[in-house]
Parts: sequence; C-alpha cells; structure tokens
Amino acid sequence: MRSLVNWALLGLVIDRPSYAYELARRFEREYRDALSLSSVSHVYTALGTLRERSLVEEVAGTRAGRQPKPHYRATPKGIEDYRQWLVGQIHEDRQRQRLFVLQLGALMRNPREALEIIALYEQSCLELARQLPLARRGTSQPAASPALAVRLLAEESRLAVGAKLAWAQYARREFAALIDDGDDR
Amino acid sequence: MTLLALDCVGKHHRDGPRDRVVLRDASMELDAGELGVVWGQRRSGRSTLLRVAAGIELADSGTVRFDGRDLAAQRHGLLGDEIGYCQKTLGYDLGLAVLEVVAVALLARGVAQDEARERARAAMERVGAASCSAMAPVELDCAEAVRVELARALALQPRLLVVDEPTKGVEMLERDEILLLLRSLADEGIAVLASTGESTALAGADRALTLDEGQLRSTAAPELAEVLPLRRAAGPV
Repeated sequence: MRSLVNWALLGLVIDRPSYAYELARRFEREYRDALSLSSVSHVYTALGTLRERSLVEEVAGTRAGRQPKPHYRATPKGIEDYRQWLVGQIHEDRQRQRLFVLQLGALMRNPREALEIIALYEQSCLELARQLPLARRGTSQPAASPALAVRLLAEESRLAVGAKLAWAQYARREFAALIDDGDDR
Repeated sequence: MTLLALDCVGKHHRDGPRDRVVLRDASMELDAGELGVVWGQRRSGRSTLLRVAAGIELADSGTVRFDGRDLAAQRHGLLGDEIGYCQKTLGYDLGLAVLEVVAVALLARGVAQDEARERARAAMERVGAASCSAMAPVELDCAEAVRVELARALALQPRLLVVDEPTKGVEMLERDEILLLLRSLADEGIAVLASTGESTALAGADRALTLDEGQLRSTAAPELAEVLPLRRAAGPV
C-alpha cells in the first residue's frame, strides 16, 4: 500500500477507533500541513482499502434512534503493518538524503559550485530551524494528541536540522580541500 | 534600528605555541527587539563571538558598534549598563542566597538596598525563578541557573542581552521554556544574542547564523527567506 493518506488514516484509527466523518475531521486537524484529503469521501475510499487489506475492521456503532454509523478499529495486522511502515519511512528519508549527497559528490571537479550549493543548503536548513515551533507546555491539555504530535514533529525536525548543519560544515571542508589541492598543483 | 553591528571582526587566541584564529571577518547586525542565535560546533568561536559582541573582549581587527558607538572606544565599556551578559553557569559561590546574588550588581552601582532587592525580586519574577530566591546558587539545576543568570542581567535593564549557551545542560522538556523566555524578552524590545551548539535552540529566532572555524557562514532571517532559492533544499526533515 503506497498511499500516504491510507497510512495516515490507519494511524488515526489505531489512536482512537471512530467513524468516517470524525476521522476526516481529525485527519485535517492532525495532518493539516503535511497531507490533505481531496474531500470527505476520500476517507470512505481509504477506509474501504484498509478494510479490504484487513488492516481495519468495522464494528457496529452504538448511536440509538438513527441508523448507527459504522465505527472502524484497527486489527492486530493493521497495528503491526503500521508499525513496520513507520519504521520503513526512516529508510525512505535516508534514500532522498543519500541522493542529494551523491549528486553533490558528483561535483568534485567543480568544487566552487558545490560550495555555493552547500551555502544555500545550510541557509535553507537555518531558515527551517528558526521557523520550527517552540513547545508550549503547561497548557490545559499538555498531553492532548495534536499538541503532542506537533511537539514530537518539531523536535524531530530540529534535531535532523542539526545533523544536516554539521554535515554541511564537513562537506564544505572536503570541497575547500579540493580547491586547495587544485591550487597547489 | 540596528543596535549591535559587527563589521569584519577578527580575533586571535594564543593556544600554547599556536596562534589560533578564533574569528575571521565576522560581520552581523542585530536590531532592538530581535532574537539572534548563533549555532556552531565546539571550538567554532561562538563563545568568543559573544564575548566580543558584549565588549568583554576586544576585537583584534574590525569594529563592534553598539547603538552606533564603537565599543573599543568606550573607556569602561557598556557591560552591565546597556549590555547584559549571561555566562554558561553561575560562576560564583559567595555564600549568598540567589536573590542577593541578583542584587549584587545593583548595590555595586549605588542602588539603595531596598530598591536593589525590589528590582532583583522583579527580575526573578520576570524570568520565572521567584521560587529560587532563597536558594544557594549551588542548589540550582541547569534551567534554574540560566533563569537566575538572566535575572541578574535583566535587573540592570540592558538594551542588549548576550547569552552564552542558554540551553546547555538544560533538561529536554524544559529547554523550550528557556527559549520562549528569550523570545519574550526580545518581544519586549531587548536585543537578544545567544549562542548554541544545539540546532534545537534555533527555533523561534529572528536571525539564525552558523559559525564555522570563526567565520559566520550562513544567516537566515525573514528578509532573506523571500529570496532563498532553495527553500526546500533541506528536504523533509
């Protein structure tokens, strides 16, 4: 299953079983900057896919007086697959970063160009780092899910930027050494 | 309005038999009400940059101007009057309670004892460290020590606050409270310049800079963001 929306929805169902409309609202609240639904019906399609793959199952709603809304909950397979998928994302991110580094490394005969790219990369990292939100704790619901998700995401991003900044400094020295070697010859 | 301006600042340190270049052509500006954070690895020169910016050390070359005045030309410097400096740790154990430590600089400037204590108390309240007032400096944890250092500097009502590594050693879940405090001080109109070795401390800064081998390499600030061509180059972090 490659759809990010499907996986993101599965995460919400694991967190709290619910019915489609409520899941759509939570989806927009939790993933507002990262993922979007084309419409509420997108959630029904995604839930259908998750059910076909035995990742979620339908349980009858309990609402009385009207037709009960079907609730969805994750199956043990859904929980296990979600866990595997989340961990797999680390490798996907790593692949993208690896590609960037390899493309930069291909500029070894043009180190001045590489240094300019590194400077822009570093500036881009800094810009991202300074815009990341600071965690405001001690609010009325400090452990509420959206606030916690934002804090976890911000911290992960901030730490990742640190590694990239340190790498940029290393890369700059490598390319500067190439220039020095070229000047010596 | 530019309050602090470093222009091509150079600084050497004698390191045994070596003459080490600590700062090379470092130029930066900081406005009143701005929070600037300098990120650099160990021995990048970040603490020296801050000491030079605060007028604690003089630059070997280049100029440091505070509100248009050359710091090198100020006979007694501006430290403690218009510039506050917070070091990494509370480096004193004079047998005084924390509140008295915060009041010391005021007393040394001839402020009456009652007023000094009142201003120290207000500064402690401002930084959220009022509960530490009766403690001894050695009893403070890292986050409390940073807050007290800030109170000590704020009691003198500086226009520029220079803070060396405010989050170093601070427990992870308390770190952002310290950064939010610095942010709020800047929002009140104080220019705040901080150093850090942790990228996590760059969040919320108006101006973020990297220092590498004594050179300020990159700067991110709102006016630069609009022309940054590789805005997404850092990838999904």
